[in-house]
Amino acid sequence: MKAFRYVRPASLAAAARAAAHEGAVLKAGGTDLLDRMKERVTAPDDVVAVGEAGDASRAIVVDADGTLAIGAFATLADVAASPHVRSRLAALAAAAELAASPQIRHRATVGGNLCQRSRCGYYRLLSFPCLRRGDATCPVLEEGAVQEHAALFGNDACASSHPSSLAPVLCAAGARVVVHGGDAPVTRELATFWRAPARGDDSDVDLAPGAVVAELRVPPLAARSGVAYEEVRQRAAFDWALASCAARIALDGEGRIADAAVWLGSVAPAPFRAAGAEAALRGKSPVAGAFDAAAAAALAGARPLPGNAYKADLVRVVVRRALVRAAEGVR
Amino acid sequence: MSGRERGERRGVTRRGLLKGAGAAAAAGVIARPAAALAQHADDGVEIAGPGPVHLVLRVNGAAREVEVEPRRTLLDALRGDLDLTGAKRVCDRGTCGACTIWLDGAPAYACSVLAIEAVGSEITTIEGLGTPAAPHPMQAAFARRDALQCGFCTPGFVMACAWAAETHGAALDDATLRRSVCGNLCRCGTYPHVVQAALEGAREMTAARDSGAGDGAKGGR
Repeated sequence: MKAFRYVRPASLAAAARAAAHEGAVLKAGGTDLLDRMKERVTAPDDVVAVGEAGDASRAIVVDADGTLAIGAFATLADVAASPHVRSRLAALAAAAELAASPQIRHRATVGGNLCQRSRCGYYRLLSFPCLRRGDATCPVLEEGAVQEHAALFGNDACASSHPSSLAPVLCAAGARVVVHGGDAPVTRELATFWRAPARGDDSDVDLAPGAVVAELRVPPLAARSGVAYEEVRQRAAFDWALASCAARIALDGEGRIADAAVWLGSVAPAPFRAAGAEAALRGKSPVAGAFDAAAAAALAGARPLPGNAYKADLVRVVVRRALVRAAEGVR
Repeated sequence: MSGRERGERRGVTRRGLLKGAGAAAAAGVIARPAAALAQHADDGVEIAGPGPVHLVLRVNGAAREVEVEPRRTLLDALRGDLDLTGAKRVCDRGTCGACTIWLDGAPAYACSVLAIEAVGSEITTIEGLGTPAAPHPMQAAFARRDALQCGFCTPGFVMACAWAAETHGAALDDATLRRSVCGNLCRCGTYPHVVQAALEGAREMTAARDSGAGDGAKGGR
């Protein structure tokens, strides 16, 4: 690791100012950042320990209007154990519980999970070129590359797949994110939080330099709604998902699907909204035939590579499973 | 542990020899004074480093002082600066679990925590769990059940298993235990004995607590 200055901010606003400088990075739990720093993929001069700010919240509460408010510095273990999360958005507790290991879950934060950088093996080793580290092309797209974990969607320039399991659930539930940029906090849709990969980009998220994720706000579910999260991976324990899906469906008075959200993880450079699946569900009865059709429609726009075509089958499976469980959970 | 005790009886240890040589070679570096924590009240930040900083860590119930750069991981500070070599450095990437310790009673990879960020936390290492003379029930169960081969992953496994037992108490079953130690790897493949030992150790911890004789189950929680 390159030597750095450790910066303790008094507040989130001070952290945002300190981290806006060239060569500064924000650190919360550090489980992603320290790995990158050890490999010198990231070599900051200043590490701003934003989790030590006095107003860095790890509280998980329900506001008067029913909004589930999750402090961005809550750990994945906090989320998995929270009675509020378990009663209002159990799919999020399940996604947090499935992630990583107890040791990681007690350090890794919700904000860090959403802002973590690509887990692509090529990105994380300096001995390989990488578009996102500033090289001309993505080595994953070349013949003979290891493509097992590569993205199925949006993989034209960079084929890394976004690993967060919390993101699909939060997006499907319509979460908003509160961001401190040094001035007044801004609340925005989480769905548009990530940006397309670009050569030499130094972040996966659409934030101004230094901006701090402070809180996630999940609106109360509509009546007669259900949310579920499903993932498939190689190992039951301590592994990344190969494909994941969070689905939310809301039924109308006649029991038909009035509204649906289908978000995929680990299959695109950012959490991926399967708009085709959502459209296929609207107005349909929540039965197996409709879920099969939605699972097929989820693959609209997919561009399988020679090494990751199997992921198309996994997407169909996780979408169908998530929809079935979301329908079972309607209340 | 026993190897080290044997070495000490001979008046010299391999580790002590290596440390002495390293200290002599690096004397110029170590003699550099620790930078004071710079205050930048206007910006609302305190800045430490990049040079060595004086830290007080709370380890196994005692205040321990170290002088380390902010980039020093807690694992390297424990092993290299405080001579607490129970936590092992294997992958150094938060994957294998050999460096598992407790931070404020929760399991953590010491390799993935900076020493400077552990200031203010209660750090528990395998040395704080029990001693050869008065082992923690989980340590005793691992020894009795032969839940190790080379032993390098064992301190991390014991810390993870003892945490699982503390957390789940009598409700700790096979499946919960396996999930609780999924962040620890054993290259020798001693998993069946580890599971046996952990469940047995957990039962003894619960029994000791229920009978009020919880002295052996001290864990800093």
